[in-house]
Amino acid sequence: MRRWLLISVPYLWLVVFFLVPFFIVFKISLSDIATAIPPYTPTFDITDIRGFLSQLDFENYAFIFSDSLYVNAYFSAIKIAAISTLLTLLVAYPIAYGMARAPKEWQPTLVMLVILPFWTSFLIRVYAWIGILKKEGLLNLFLMNLGVISEPLTIMNTTTAVYIGIVYSYLPFMILPLYASLEKINPSLLEAAADLGSPPWKSFWQVTFPLSLPGVIAGCFLVFIPATGEFVIPDLLGGSETLMIGKTLWGEFFSNRDWPVSSAVAVVLLLVLVVPIVLFQRNQEKQREAA
Amino acid sequence: MSEAAVLGSSQTATSGPGQKSPVRTPAPQSGFAPWKDPSREPIVRFQNVVKRFGDFVAVKDCTLDIYEREFFALLGPSGCGKTTLLRMLAGFEKPTSGRIIVGGQDITDLAPYERPVNMMFQSYALFPHMTVEQNIGYGLKQDAMAKPLIEKRVEEAMTMLELNRFAKRKPHQLSGGQQQRVALARAIAKKPRIVLLDEPLGALDKRLRQQAQFELMRIQETTGTTFIIVTHDQEEAMTVSSRIAVMDHGEFRQVATPGDIYEAPNSRYVANFIGDVNLFEGKVVKVDGNFAEIDWGPGLARFKSLAPEGCTGDQQVWLTLRPEKIRIAFEKPSDASNAVPGKVVDVGYLGSISHYHVELGNGQRVKALRANSARTVERPISWEDNVWLEWPPETGIVVTR
Repeated sequence: MRRWLLISVPYLWLVVFFLVPFFIVFKISLSDIATAIPPYTPTFDITDIRGFLSQLDFENYAFIFSDSLYVNAYFSAIKIAAISTLLTLLVAYPIAYGMARAPKEWQPTLVMLVILPFWTSFLIRVYAWIGILKKEGLLNLFLMNLGVISEPLTIMNTTTAVYIGIVYSYLPFMILPLYASLEKINPSLLEAAADLGSPPWKSFWQVTFPLSLPGVIAGCFLVFIPATGEFVIPDLLGGSETLMIGKTLWGEFFSNRDWPVSSAVAVVLLLVLVVPIVLFQRNQEKQREAA
Repeated sequence: MSEAAVLGSSQTATSGPGQKSPVRTPAPQSGFAPWKDPSREPIVRFQNVVKRFGDFVAVKDCTLDIYEREFFALLGPSGCGKTTLLRMLAGFEKPTSGRIIVGGQDITDLAPYERPVNMMFQSYALFPHMTVEQNIGYGLKQDAMAKPLIEKRVEEAMTMLELNRFAKRKPHQLSGGQQQRVALARAIAKKPRIVLLDEPLGALDKRLRQQAQFELMRIQETTGTTFIIVTHDQEEAMTVSSRIAVMDHGEFRQVATPGDIYEAPNSRYVANFIGDVNLFEGKVVKVDGNFAEIDWGPGLARFKSLAPEGCTGDQQVWLTLRPEKIRIAFEKPSDASNAVPGKVVDVGYLGSISHYHVELGNGQRVKALRANSARTVERPISWEDNVWLEWPPETGIVVTR
């Protein structure tokens, strides 16, 4: 009985805060746009379920797939998310490696420093990047004063700025799982590799990297999944050329006020992300079994 | 005291009893004794090696020669510097000063992966993401050896340690004993000149450990490799090794064969560390040829014992006496050189042998051991019995420190 109660808490949470909203969104995606409050029809009517159901259709889905704007936005979002995930991995790995190799008494402090940015609002931190990246921003001032460049660089409102923003924002999500798996590696394994004739760079690829793979995979999913649906970063830092599905979705909701189509976009986005989420779950499961 | 002096005295202790009574040898001898042959070049030389960690001196000025095909044990309590010495040989620690020479080549500044030694780690350090086969072949792969050759060598090593059945398994699918064998197979697969073993059997239970000890000896013999083992288990060191270096606080206390360490310890520390021992503190009052008379208390009969090298009168000494060398009897032996009366305070019956704790007149307790060679005795020695302890003058060893 107590066991059942304990398990029911997370399930109840999921039902109330995930499944119910999802079905609301799903239902809206099957509706038609209307000039009303709320801006769609039909609204749920308990007295006439049959009539209500008969008005629902998959029109919006057909529309999304017929318009190349949406399909391109999905692919572009996946591409940007994938490239930024790779960049995040390249930046995070040396940091996590350094943390795992740091003196034991330093490590808690270093972990604290990695999560410290979370203490400031994500939105404000992305705004701060505008001040750094814009034409007369800190980065251009710094580089011009150094004499590295004579003309200010155009980074702001380009896809490059989006990459910078995503790498910066999601770095902790990559560092932490990487650090967790690197820190677990027994240092005597590297001694054993060296003892058997392997120079340090070889040991890294033959021992350290394979053993950190669970962390690499976990970190990549933790960055890739939210980055695919990201809209704040492309909206604030990206330009008109930056096409991402999150931004499209936001525009559809708030500029076009087309709730049914944007709901359909959201449901398809969710379906697109189910694949990596399931893969991520499987990776976590495997890790737990190995431990 | 300098290390050279310690070594010097240990060597006299090694040859001491042998020279004095050439007919009698203390322990089983294999005839393998390259350290006695001055023409032999040692395979490993530690020359005045010092290692400091901050203020802590882990190894104090150690000088030691180890010869080809030796099974050499570094024995001592934890923190005595034995593992540091081994790790310096493997290249994981750099000596603060001094040189390490292997096969005539100074390897002090070489990286671990450039040294002709392989180590078996205390934690085994098996690569968890590789199979048994891949673990054993790892070192060979680093040498860019041809694949069929690697396979052959891995096969050989697996056969030697009866691991063929487990070739495709990962380390976590193996028992502790099997993991230990994989670790050993990996250390010998490259056929290194020297195999280092850091507490190799520490994680095994007692029965498995004894089996593994004999396996280590078998492999050392069949491969003809020099083995250097670090252990805190004196029985293990005695069983497997050709010579033992007893260490304490970063220094060698004695370097000798197991037999000599046991039968001719050079100090109270060594005598105490290896096996059980009874210690009698006293003063040498007379030296007569090979024998000395020791006064160990007013009103007590003097002991007669082999005199230590360069012993003079009026020197404070300790007589070390192994329990099994003491005979215990009800009657005073008539012609004994050393006999003391006492009362039995404790008896430990172990089946094959019995332990007796005897309290002497001055309150000192002495341990004596007797083999139960007959199935029944007329009157067994029991608690509160008054007994006599007796031993010949050559069984005790007199040490001066």
